[in-house]
Amino acid sequence: MRPFGLRWLAASSLLLVTVAGAATRPRYGGVLHVAVRVATLDPLEAGQPSGPAASNLLLLVYDTLVTLDDRGVPQPGLALSWQADASKQRWQFVLRRGVAFREGAPFTADLAAASLRAANPNWKVTSNGSAVVLQLDSPEPHLPAQLALARNAIVKRESGKILGTGPFVVTQWQAGKNLTLTARDDYWGGRPFVDSIEVELGKSFREQRMALDLKKSQLIELAPEQTRQVSDDHPVEASAPVELVALLFRRDPQSPVEAQLRHALALSIDRNTINRVLLQEAGEPSGSLLPNWMTGYDFLFPADADVARARQLRSEVLQPISWTLGYDANDPLTRILAERITLNARDAGLSMQLSNAPAVDLRVVRVPLESLDAHTALARVSAALGLSVKTSGDSPEDLYRAESAVLQSWRVVPLLHLRVAYGLGASVRNWNDKPDGSWDIPDLWLGADKP
Amino acid sequence: MSFRRRLLSVFALTVLLSVAAVALIVSWATRRAFSRANEQRTTALAAQFRHEFSRRGEDIVQRIQAIAAGDTATRMALASASEPHDYGAYLGTAKALAESQQLDYLEFVDSQGVILSSAQWPGKFGYKESFPVSPAFPKDAFLKPEELPDGVALGLFAVRPVIAGDKPLYVIGGRTLDKNFLAGLDLPTGMRAMLYQNLGGDISPQRLIDAEGPVEHAEQILPVVQRMQKQPQETSALLHWSGNAADDEALHAFPLTGQDNQLLGILLVGSSRREYVELRRHIRSAALLGGGVGLVLAILFSGWAAGRVTRPVEQLAAAARDVTAGKWSTQVPVTSADELGELAESFNRMTRDLLDQKERLVQSERVAAWRELARRLAHELKNPLFPLQLTVENLVRARQRSPEQFDEVFRESSETLLTEIANLKGIIGRFSEFSKMPQPQIQPVQLNEIVQNVARLFQAQFRASEATAIGCRMELGTLDPIAADPELLHRALSNLVLNAMDAMPQGGTLTLRTRQESDRVFAEVADTGSGLTPEECERIFTPYYTSKAHGTGLGLAIVQSVVSDHGGRISVRSEPGQGTAFIIELPKTQAGQAH
Repeated sequence: MRPFGLRWLAASSLLLVTVAGAATRPRYGGVLHVAVRVATLDPLEAGQPSGPAASNLLLLVYDTLVTLDDRGVPQPGLALSWQADASKQRWQFVLRRGVAFREGAPFTADLAAASLRAANPNWKVTSNGSAVVLQLDSPEPHLPAQLALARNAIVKRESGKILGTGPFVVTQWQAGKNLTLTARDDYWGGRPFVDSIEVELGKSFREQRMALDLKKSQLIELAPEQTRQVSDDHPVEASAPVELVALLFRRDPQSPVEAQLRHALALSIDRNTINRVLLQEAGEPSGSLLPNWMTGYDFLFPADADVARARQLRSEVLQPISWTLGYDANDPLTRILAERITLNARDAGLSMQLSNAPAVDLRVVRVPLESLDAHTALARVSAALGLSVKTSGDSPEDLYRAESAVLQSWRVVPLLHLRVAYGLGASVRNWNDKPDGSWDIPDLWLGADKP
Repeated sequence: MSFRRRLLSVFALTVLLSVAAVALIVSWATRRAFSRANEQRTTALAAQFRHEFSRRGEDIVQRIQAIAAGDTATRMALASASEPHDYGAYLGTAKALAESQQLDYLEFVDSQGVILSSAQWPGKFGYKESFPVSPAFPKDAFLKPEELPDGVALGLFAVRPVIAGDKPLYVIGGRTLDKNFLAGLDLPTGMRAMLYQNLGGDISPQRLIDAEGPVEHAEQILPVVQRMQKQPQETSALLHWSGNAADDEALHAFPLTGQDNQLLGILLVGSSRREYVELRRHIRSAALLGGGVGLVLAILFSGWAAGRVTRPVEQLAAAARDVTAGKWSTQVPVTSADELGELAESFNRMTRDLLDQKERLVQSERVAAWRELARRLAHELKNPLFPLQLTVENLVRARQRSPEQFDEVFRESSETLLTEIANLKGIIGRFSEFSKMPQPQIQPVQLNEIVQNVARLFQAQFRASEATAIGCRMELGTLDPIAADPELLHRALSNLVLNAMDAMPQGGTLTLRTRQESDRVFAEVADTGSGLTPEECERIFTPYYTSKAHGTGLGLAIVQSVVSDHGGRISVRSEPGQGTAFIIELPKTQAGQAH
């Protein structure tokens, strides 16, 4: 019995090690089912209002010259290296060799230059052998970070088709319905583990949640208020707070009195309660455009409510004021935020009424931070809000001054920053949390439903 | 207007008035019936609204009761006892339960009135509920204005407590009183229900809705709302939407009040008057058509009936005209046994009697005339005959007694006899002349000339004796020529002048006067003699009647015959002692003669 027992023990141990290893070891194959609200195949349509999921899908098909690591530091993508002159106006990017588009055409500097010119008509982009040269009108120290944006992905437009060099190719596309992506064996960064991705389009958060519950989807978007509930049943992965929620006034204040009333409004809003109750802690209250984890100076822009001060400011203004607050009728979150803000404003003596009419005095807006680079993120946020921002340098102080100037214009009142959260199926393995909520699907593989 | 036309008009007017009266009565009865039916329908609709209101209220109460009895509410009631509240845990609770119970409003409120979870305003957690909650909550559903982020709405609410700990938790929920509520009402054709949500001090057309949403042209209805706001009691009005009365709408308003009798809503029931107006138009058209047809029929019938009634009358009138014209034997047919037939019988009897009387009169007059003629002749002839008798007796006596003187007597007697015989011939000649009056030879004549010729003829006789001189005065007017026989007129006027001279043996004034009136001319011969008695005036134109000692009584008869032959007439005006005037009236033209 002893020898048999030893052999059985040895065999059992070997089997246990083998099974344990199989659970953690990458595995090729399988179809990843994804559900999202919207998607596009054109990088020029990336960003608002498509949202981060649309950008993530784009970067499965297309590559950018530069990528950003988790700290926002540029890393080689299709460009292996880059250098700028002293003025930071002329940039040269040396391209990776041996990269091919989907149909086999080689990736060249000419194609890269043409793609960038299409995305940025104001840029002077030329090719120089295996390099792309960008000549800018003004210094742009954070150009590599801009080239990491999805909208600057390199594409080849041919006969109405848009081809990319990304890890997946589009094998089926029905606008608004579904999208099928197939892994490329010849991808320069290595073949993705999954064979293909089937994306269901036009699904609301509620439908996505149902698809996840029914195991029809393995990757879904989560609304902030869903995060708490979904996390009870499914793995939930969330980014750093990378989506700005703010109040955007239709126009600049026409008088100091109006600016004072906007200040009173900003003080009346109980951001903490909003985050705790309405957002289920899915965000971070903030008085700045950029999140604290990105800049570190968020504390300089107070976010706590001060109703007494708000009332005082309001009482100092004799003229009646009545604002209409708008929201995105397709976004329940902005609606409920607007409802709460209306109540907070009334607490301060400010008359405010909800309206979904096109012309309102101010509205609740959501703006994704498209870059992990703070300067680039501020520029993109300002552009999305229709505000002008000027940075005199690339230091944190320059960034603070620029952001402070924007906020002091009282066109925008930051409320908080939301995390981007995804619900994952139990079979999804090796999900890498990215601060900006981007997907690292090529490194993801599928296991059994129950780990 | 003839009797027939008058009768026809009376018949037609009677029919027309009858039809008009019937149309008015029917129209009045229709309006009254329609008003009554409309009132009944409105009352029924208001009752239906109240019933629906009550039914839905009960439904809401049951749903709120179900929520209050559920596990979720119980857990929330237990959790609400601890402070601070975990509002995040209840954030979607009210909304989910409201959706499951098909409620528009649902709130969980703690014993302090603080909202824990709200379906209609999820962001309102932590705020005070406007409705005061207490253990003495209303058992039935009630109307309540609900403040929403985008305005105020009117809802039907119910409250139920959840007793699961030391402090009660209240469930307040309901449904919007909106167009869907109105759409659920079963409205008869031509009626509509509207609701004014009286949720603000001012009046706004946006708050007036019907089953399809905001009411178009609500401004015209707002005065009724305003009246109701001043005095919250049932009222009604008539709305004129256009110049067409068929577009009018009768509006009845019913107040909807809340817990504290505050006017929160107004139910307006509109009833189109198109049906009534079109019915009234149909009646009017039918009345007009009936009246028209009736009028035509009335005219036809009236013509027939009037003809039937008036034909005997017309025959009687024609017969009377014939009798007037001298046809004394005229008879009318007797066609019926009624009053008209009796009238015709009477007429016929009258003409027969008249004819008999006339014949008797003619015979008696003829006898009287012959007697008068005989008397006249005897009288006229006796006067000459008496001298003839004396003369012949004188001759006989002279032959017997004094033959020597016979020749002388014979000669004188012969002269006397010849004179008296001539006198007899004259008398006989005048009678002969009267019997042989010629037919007038009509020609254009100036009457004034004839009068002047007559006056000129008798000038010498007027002045025959100075003691008995007669003054002749001429008063001749301007006359148009007349159609007459100048010779006969001259003879007639001469006779009148002779009569006047005879009437003035002591002299006097003879006046010859002419004048013209329209289509007739007048010639007047007036004397200043002793005049005539009324009896004499009546008989003076009778042949052979005379008031003179030696008259034949034929002069004025001849004058009357001449005047009558000219289509005229003669009259006398006289008073005793004042003279006599004879007036001849002649037409300008003779019958059948054109101007």
